[in-house]
Amino acid sequence: MVVTFQLNGEDCSFHGDPMTPLVDILRRERFLTGTKAVCREGFCGACTVHVDDEAVPSCLKPIGLVQGCAVTTIEGLSSGNQALHPLQASFEAIDAVQCGMCFPGMVMSLSAFMRDNPHASRPEIKAAMVGNICRCTGYERIVDAVADCLDQARKAGRLAGGIDV
Amino acid sequence: MSELSATVMNLARRDAQDKLRGRTKYTNDRIRPDMLHAVLLRSTVPAGRIRKLDVSAALRCPGVRAVATGADAPGLYGIGIADHPLLAIETIRYHGEPIAVIAAETEKQARAALAAIMLEVEPLAPVFTMAEALQPAARLVHEGWRGYEVITEGGARAGNIAWEARSSRGDVDAAFARPDIRIVESSFTVGRQSHVPFEPRVAIGSWEDGRAHIQTSTQVPWTVRNVTGRVMQLAPGHVRVTVPPVGGGFGLKFDASIEPITALLARMTGRTVVLENTRQEEMATCLCRENAEIRIRSAVTAEGYIAGREAVVLMDCGAYGGEQVFLTTMTAHTLGGNYKVGAMRLVSRAVYTNTPPNGAFRACNGVYNTFALERHTDEICDALGFDPMEFRKKNVLGDGDLGATGQVFEADVLGPMLDRMEALRASTGTSEAKADGRLYGIATTVGTWFVFVGPSAATVNLNADGSATLVTSGVEIGSGTMVQSLPQIVAGQLGLAPDQVIVREADTDAAGLDVGVGGGRTTVSIGAASVAACAEVREKLLRTAGEMLQTRPQDLVLRDGRVEITGRPGSGMSIPAVVAHAQATTGPITGSGAFAARNAPAMAGCAMGHFIDALDIPVFVVHEAEVAVDPDTGHVEVLAYRVVQDVGRALNPRAILGQIQGGVVQGLGYALHEEVTLTADGHIAQDDFETYRLPLAQDVVPVAADLYEGAPSMGPLGTKGAGEVPILAVGAAIGCAVARAIGKPVRQLPLTPPRVLRLLHEREPPPEFPHIAPGWASNTLG
Amino acid sequence: MAPGVERSFTAASTIEEALAARRQGAAVLAGGTWMMRDPRRGGELPEAVVALHRIPALSKVEIEPDHVVIGAAVTHAVLGRALHAAVGFEGLVGAAENAANPGIRRVATVGGNLCVLDFAAADLAPALLVCEATVELETFEGAKLLGISDFLKDRHTLLAEAIVTRIHLGRDLVASAHIRLPLRKAGDYPVAIVSIGVDKDKRCRIAVGSVEPVARRWTALEQAMRASPASALDPERAAELALEHNDFQGRDGKEAEGWYRRQVLPSLVKRGIAALLKTGGLAWL
Ligand SMILES: Cc1cc2nc3c(=O)[nH]c(=O)nc-3n(C[C@H](O)[C@H](O)[C@H](O)COP(=O)(O)OP(=O)(O)OC[C@H]3O[C@@H](n4cnc5c(N)ncnc54)[C@H](O)[C@@H]3O)c2cc1C
Ligand code: FES
Ligand code: FES
Repeated sequence: MVVTFQLNGEDCSFHGDPMTPLVDILRRERFLTGTKAVCREGFCGACTVHVDDEAVPSCLKPIGLVQGCAVTTIEGLSSGNQALHPLQASFEAIDAVQCGMCFPGMVMSLSAFMRDNPHASRPEIKAAMVGNICRCTGYERIVDAVADCLDQARKAGRLAGGIDV
Repeated sequence: MSELSATVMNLARRDAQDKLRGRTKYTNDRIRPDMLHAVLLRSTVPAGRIRKLDVSAALRCPGVRAVATGADAPGLYGIGIADHPLLAIETIRYHGEPIAVIAAETEKQARAALAAIMLEVEPLAPVFTMAEALQPAARLVHEGWRGYEVITEGGARAGNIAWEARSSRGDVDAAFARPDIRIVESSFTVGRQSHVPFEPRVAIGSWEDGRAHIQTSTQVPWTVRNVTGRVMQLAPGHVRVTVPPVGGGFGLKFDASIEPITALLARMTGRTVVLENTRQEEMATCLCRENAEIRIRSAVTAEGYIAGREAVVLMDCGAYGGEQVFLTTMTAHTLGGNYKVGAMRLVSRAVYTNTPPNGAFRACNGVYNTFALERHTDEICDALGFDPMEFRKKNVLGDGDLGATGQVFEADVLGPMLDRMEALRASTGTSEAKADGRLYGIATTVGTWFVFVGPSAATVNLNADGSATLVTSGVEIGSGTMVQSLPQIVAGQLGLAPDQVIVREADTDAAGLDVGVGGGRTTVSIGAASVAACAEVREKLLRTAGEMLQTRPQDLVLRDGRVEITGRPGSGMSIPAVVAHAQATTGPITGSGAFAARNAPAMAGCAMGHFIDALDIPVFVVHEAEVAVDPDTGHVEVLAYRVVQDVGRALNPRAILGQIQGGVVQGLGYALHEEVTLTADGHIAQDDFETYRLPLAQDVVPVAADLYEGAPSMGPLGTKGAGEVPILAVGAAIGCAVARAIGKPVRQLPLTPPRVLRLLHEREPPPEFPHIAPGWASNTLG
Repeated sequence: MAPGVERSFTAASTIEEALAARRQGAAVLAGGTWMMRDPRRGGELPEAVVALHRIPALSKVEIEPDHVVIGAAVTHAVLGRALHAAVGFEGLVGAAENAANPGIRRVATVGGNLCVLDFAAADLAPALLVCEATVELETFEGAKLLGISDFLKDRHTLLAEAIVTRIHLGRDLVASAHIRLPLRKAGDYPVAIVSIGVDKDKRCRIAVGSVEPVARRWTALEQAMRASPASALDPERAAELALEHNDFQGRDGKEAEGWYRRQVLPSLVKRGIAALLKTGGLAWL
């Protein structure tokens, strides 16, 4: 079967088994290895990508269901030498990263969460992270970074005339 | 600027951007289409004899390029004793043990070909528990144990006892016979903990110019090199190991496991071969923190003096000795740590069973020995009516006190740390109000661990652009040492900025021997070797500059990328100018440095079968937990967590605090959530993220931490390792806090809700160990 | 799958088209969050699948004054948002918004949650039992309406020749609550679930999930509470009655043994009643 979709803004087509998980196509055929396949069962979130702007695990997404969709991976979030996404910058500034394997998924999940929940509280941020496991950091700095980043966006938004993230 | 103030800073991580953008290439991101994929045939029985193994049909399957079995890699490896084959030879000792391996053009083809391997196994009665293994008539997991090569002498061994370490100091019998003491005895049992690094064990092997080259996700490139040499019966120098960024290790990758297989297949095929554990394989064959059984007795006077202590610790090493052989050593320094004790004897036995082999996990047996010791301490306090905090303050190890092996501890560290914990608690306040009607408990516990020193080497090349290249066998596993403390140390020594220090990733062809990244040793051991290398660089640099400036080298200093005349900022010349001059006259400026353990002495005759008789660098922690227990469901909520940690010197306080948060949370997983059990056929039941419950963001709290500086350390600039030890006393603090909350003794971890509910209703049977004899000496090989 | 055979994948745009594919032997693919894990469980992916996501009728939630219709392909996330402000559906919303994790909830569908066979911990099942939902199936013999309870019991056979198309709910509950008990705060399957609803006559409906292999109503407790209506909305009293009328046989699993699932039920009932009392709907009564 042939599946066509948009990948990081470009047209892309896949020939093969329509039940192939999206993550395998990203990693093995497109060499977009920023998306990590850690549990392959929907629990860890390391494989999170945006499909039509929604953050979903790519390990459980058969490519057949992606026909006609727009997929953004971590590589597409801030590509080339573009500036980091504010959340990525926040993670860097706060020294949140350790082994780093969970972070592409964290960034993809939480960037979408911030977009949709500009006024999220700390408990809400934590609730949004139920499907993003980190084995290294103990989470709190990740939560700090999201909270900081939302704070800054709110302040900047107010300055620029009330525009939220 | 002093050397110290030039080194201490909250340096950010240079690898953060690429990791955040998904650009970092971990080993398992380096798989290319032209590589062969290897897949293992693993045992589906826990014990058996291989009657027939015929791979010829598999070799004829589509895409298959090679099949290897134990016969292709006959050498045995191990720690202390060489008991472990790469692929099972004749005998199968655990469910999941690799028996054969297939390399094919695609993973699918390799998997398909597995079915074509003809394997006949005669099942043997498995020995699943240490209780079974220690029965006099137990079947031997290793029938040929006597014939194994002993790599390290000194341990007693017999049958299913892979290794035994004993320590004995003073007259314990006399202490227990005193009329003025009371005897308190406690038994504890703990399960396994799985590391779950996000990157599983994975290796890519190729055969280049007649040598193996293995790229792998490891903490120990030199061990991989040596083990590969052993099993393939090659000179280890025929193996090169390089290490890309590692996606988490936590000790799992502190031993070689699947890496040599890729070298073997690369030699057979002439192709590059990748072998990556699936998550299920990774978890089913994880070299876990071992399950253990502990009995501890103490003789304590009414005044609270611990006159005598004895303990038996049984550690399940699984099917092969592995790290547990070494770790028997650490019982003396952990269960035998923390407190002043008049006379003490401890025995620690690594026991073979037909279960997946265990290994090293962040602070290893220290974690459960500390749990046992601290809960036992609370039971002493309960029995004799002491206040647990006062009892600890009175009895913790101080300057001049003796450890279990007769080591003399230097300086008062734990005592002042307990005071600092009280100050920390005063500043944060307590969280009892958050218990909201549930059962509330708070506990303060102490712990003793160490820095695993051992040999390291470093080379520093000073470049004409003013940068320095640091070449070591260190690996970045996420803890930040390679991107924070090491460049900080080198920069501080040479008057550079840390971003001018280039850190080479580990390559056994480029750097000297190193015993690996683990045991909190990188900053200390590689750091010390780097300081030594910098000293040589500095000496050459100042000599050249002295000639150029017509000044004596001792009147020169390195500062801000310049060689300056002491006391005259801005004088002298830039480092690049000096390097350029040296390159043209005496040659490029390089330095090399080395480090080795000091081997602190124990008291003669106190330590038997120990790999480390006394600790060169002890490390202490004080942990405090507040919990609320739901009496209806048994759920334990952690309300607050506080840590005072002995760091020697904090070179990058922010990075250390990050390690503390991460380490404590792994400890919360161990204490509360992470459970490993075996199925009836000896398979690890929790082999996925559905059943193995890692702590999630909602299960954790921000850890309040205070870094205790100034305790003596032989580490560079007074440092101690800070990344390993944060997990040490979490099981202890949580176990003690829960016991106080529910008013019942806690003798087992993890404290899952069903277990806590059973404890509350007194339906949890206390651990009983019929296989541990009442008399201490009967539990030793004499 | 035999080598060389191409898997067939149909993205149906109508129910008829989906049913036709089903007749040809295609398995229904909804969000895929369960099916894609079959290989991990030692199973194989079906050789032919028919996807429902392009059928508009199955992807919407219709909210009318006296009833609600939920398309089978509606995701947990969409369901939670759609019913957020609808009085009486707090329990169903709670189930949809707290099951699994956010990423899964954006993908996993209502139909998928109900049609996974041998999954005892499905959150939507007890919540829909309390709503006394009717399940609409499109079978090879035509459309069929069935009470949720019967559907859950008979789905093994029913689903061999059918597709779940819609779930119909009345609007006779004034308040409801969904109390789930995972072993962590969230993220693992609940080891026990109590869903409770109350109608305008203050009659309670209670359903239990994850304790037995299939979710069911707790009729013994409902009857006991009806017998002493005065204490029906008293959490402590309800918990006592729950203890007295606990007729569940807990199932053993890796994560928890049967006794535990059974034992926690009274306290979940207590929490459930307490949660009901906090809802707006009950305050009006
Ligand atoms: C990480 C994770 C955590 C989870 N945690 C929870 C939890 O806490 N609580 C909970 O309730 N569930 C939980 N689940 C299960 C989850 O709810 C189910 O996987 C999901 O609801 C299935 O929906 P789906 O649309 O993805 O179904 P699919 O995987 O597409 O299908 C599942 C099955 O249902 C059949 N099917 C689907 N739709 C129809 C239909 N309309 N008609 C007939 N047959 C159909 C399919 O043929 C297939 O057999 C979890 C799942 C994951 C992956
Ligand atoms: S790999 Fe997809 S959620 Fe873990
Ligand atoms: S940083 Fe290692 S898993 Fe999150």
